[in-house]
Amino acid sequence: MTVATSRHPAPAHPEPAGVDNRLVVGGAALTWRSLPTPTLPDPAAVLAHSAVHALTAARQHAVHGTELLLSTASRVDAVMRNELLEAGFTVSVLDDDGVHPSAPARPRAAEPGRLWLLTSGSTGRPKRVGHTLDTLTTVRADQPDRTWLCPYAPGTYAWWQVVTLSLTQPGQHLVVVEPDELDDWPSVAAAHGVDAASGTPTFWRRTLYRDADALARVPLRQITLGGEPVDQAILDQLREVFPAARISWIYASSEVGASIVVHDGRAGFPADWLDRETPGRPTLSVRDDELVVTSPYHGAGLAGPIRTGDRVQVLDGRVLITGRLDSDEINVGGSKVSAGVVRGVLAGHPAVAWARVTGRRAPVLGRMVVAEVVLAPTDPASVDSGVPDEAALVRWCADRLPEHAVPRRIRVLTDIPVKETLKSDV
Amino acid sequence: MNELSRAQIRDLMAQVLKNQDKELPADDAAQLREIGFRSLDFSELALRVEDETGEELNFDAPGLRRIATVGDVLDFLVELQHQ
Repeated sequence: MTVATSRHPAPAHPEPAGVDNRLVVGGAALTWRSLPTPTLPDPAAVLAHSAVHALTAARQHAVHGTELLLSTASRVDAVMRNELLEAGFTVSVLDDDGVHPSAPARPRAAEPGRLWLLTSGSTGRPKRVGHTLDTLTTVRADQPDRTWLCPYAPGTYAWWQVVTLSLTQPGQHLVVVEPDELDDWPSVAAAHGVDAASGTPTFWRRTLYRDADALARVPLRQITLGGEPVDQAILDQLREVFPAARISWIYASSEVGASIVVHDGRAGFPADWLDRETPGRPTLSVRDDELVVTSPYHGAGLAGPIRTGDRVQVLDGRVLITGRLDSDEINVGGSKVSAGVVRGVLAGHPAVAWARVTGRRAPVLGRMVVAEVVLAPTDPASVDSGVPDEAALVRWCADRLPEHAVPRRIRVLTDIPVKETLKSDV
Repeated sequence: MNELSRAQIRDLMAQVLKNQDKELPADDAAQLREIGFRSLDFSELALRVEDETGEELNFDAPGLRRIATVGDVLDFLVELQHQ
């Protein structure tokens, strides 16, 4: 079923300040203002067919205040779809032909201005977290004009971060890459003058691994990493390609919002940021190795200190976020090992492009540290390319880690695994 | 079932030690303590056996026992493949 798109309600909000910013989608140059103007059901769960439809839904929300959950069909399975219909959403596919709605099981009144995010589901089924454009807009100070790459899946927290920036600030343009363009994004970005890009460490590693020369041709002045633990190796590798760029990493999630922003090019954040209370700013604490955040940017219904489920370790005055609490800690015969710390050591090997560290069942010790790596491409012209074997990588780790933390089995993969969220589940 | 012989397990054990610049003596009675083969090495060897055979070993099956010599390690892993 298709709904006519000609009539739409009067704007509920002032026009977004960034409405004339440039958008490049699938190679076509648009602006927020030139996007189509379909009438969205209210409340709507919009499954965007492609990037332009996701941007269209976001713009319609900004203008009309439509209660909106935005996602893609691939992130909403049958169970989630039923949950949304039960929760009163009109689940609607948005494509070039307009809106294709499925009526809710129990219709209800919309909550104006409400935006819903689905958590990435890295710890079980995705959950709905309530926000508004305001709580998602965490960059408010005037920014230098930038053209941002948006590689994220529509409707994720990271996607909304880039999108709200462009919607609310004049001079913040967007170049959106679709999933099928992802491997070739540097050429798209170079062609459209992208000078700022935000991605997961996995996204950056894959880019460096596939074609570092193509990446170097993108005139980047701002590089942002987030969504996964950020280790020193990836920061250093990016610094080498972009000596003059500002390289930042951000800790953010649907639940606590953007809580930590670090610009000094180092992994982790200074330990003296812990337990520091500043009005209007998140307070960061550690309880039992877990990062706890009290933030003004919490999702709706969340208040006070939120346990993030992320494990931290203080090393040399820096608080490192090493991974998810339930998967980062490996107990080797009673000694605790942080998978994230071991991953950082492996990723620091000059020939390693990517690493995943896990615990594997073993006799006597219960668990043992093992790893998978992807090796950096070698120069075919060089005869002695120095490709390390398993034993060499084990020795590299043994020189830098306590004995029980050294991965004893290291498998070499041929490509960096990545999911739609641009994460590797490392 | 894909099973490793005692000699094949011995080769893997030698590899574990060689990666640490240690040598595996020919004598099965050699004491693990003396050659520096410890619980981490034992665990690594078990994982190598699993990786070679493509089958998981049932580490819980046999009761605790004293493993003090090279021969003890080989006997134990040969036996574990039958559990």
